[in-house]
Amino acid sequence: MLSVLALTSVVLLGIASQCTAISVYTNWEKHVQVGSDVRLSCSFFSWHWTSAEVTFSWSYRPDGAKESVSIFHYTNGAPYIATKGPFRDRLEFVGNPNRRDGSIMIRNVDYNDNGTFTCDAKNPPDIMGHPSNVRLLVFEKVPVQAGVITGAIIGVVLGLLILVVAIYYLMRFLVARRVFSLSMRHGKKGKGKEGSQQRQAGPSK
Amino acid sequence: MLVLLAAIFILHLACIALLLAATIHNAWWMTGGVSTDIWARWVWTGVKWNYTQIPTYYDQEYLQAVQATSVLACIFCILGLFVFVAQLYTLPKGKRFLFTGAFQLLAWLCIMIAASIYTEIFHKDEKNGWYGASFILAWISVCLTFISCVTYFILRKKTA
Repeated sequence: MLSVLALTSVVLLGIASQCTAISVYTNWEKHVQVGSDVRLSCSFFSWHWTSAEVTFSWSYRPDGAKESVSIFHYTNGAPYIATKGPFRDRLEFVGNPNRRDGSIMIRNVDYNDNGTFTCDAKNPPDIMGHPSNVRLLVFEKVPVQAGVITGAIIGVVLGLLILVVAIYYLMRFLVARRVFSLSMRHGKKGKGKEGSQQRQAGPSK
Repeated sequence: MLVLLAAIFILHLACIALLLAATIHNAWWMTGGVSTDIWARWVWTGVKWNYTQIPTYYDQEYLQAVQATSVLACIFCILGLFVFVAQLYTLPKGKRFLFTGAFQLLAWLCIMIAASIYTEIFHKDEKNGWYGASFILAWISVCLTFISCVTYFILRKKTA
């Protein structure tokens, strides 16, 4: 039974590795304050082991432009930063390709950096996949994300309520158990005293 | 006795309905062509209503606090209804409905916080507009939840 299961899973995995593609993951949007550094993270999922020929490729399309320029490429174990692009001296590779992480760091962002960054990862022999886009939005003051404070307040209040109710019932249970055990001990001691009194009263009669 | 029970039950249901209407319905602040609530804003384009985001000059932290507390008030009121029905069957005779009253008290606190924050922080300088139906319903539900809470704290189960 176990061997049949193992065999089926191996066969399925073999089939799956042929017909599924690589999936690239990035953020959807990144909100940053002007002048700060931003880390654009990119990772992928692939059914194959991470090969030594894994490649990461970042390109950038400014807001309103039609063409995108290539700004970064990682191949053959070495990162290559475009020497003429808008990020030539501001880009740094901070990823770990062995852990499937192809993130880059852009320092000192400006309002001209608003745009869409595309990450394309390839893990030979798994090269079929769609690149993933992350939009960079630069603000003077980063606004609060919609719903963060709402969710936090609701979660904390409901969590406290559940905690209080749980502690109340736990205390009731513990007190009841203590009362029960004390009453058991009293019952046993009472029986013992009665027995010894009877024995003492017996011979005197 | 049954009439009293029905009246209290209907009062609780009315609280829930008003709270839900205040939280969900879209009329906290209205002008001629704009209808705003605590989640988004409807703008009349002359042909149809457009669903837009609340403008960014609204204080986001306070707005999200109002959202959170009004949702919490709805949750506590609805939970209170279930707790009331449960206590009707399990409470020993002669005891008070304290657990239900506690839930209604929490709901009252939450909706009072929400309505107060909204009244105090928003629309201080806007002259051409008026408070809409949901805002009024929010304040009415403050009163109703308070009355309901006091009722549950006073009420005793029939000693038959």
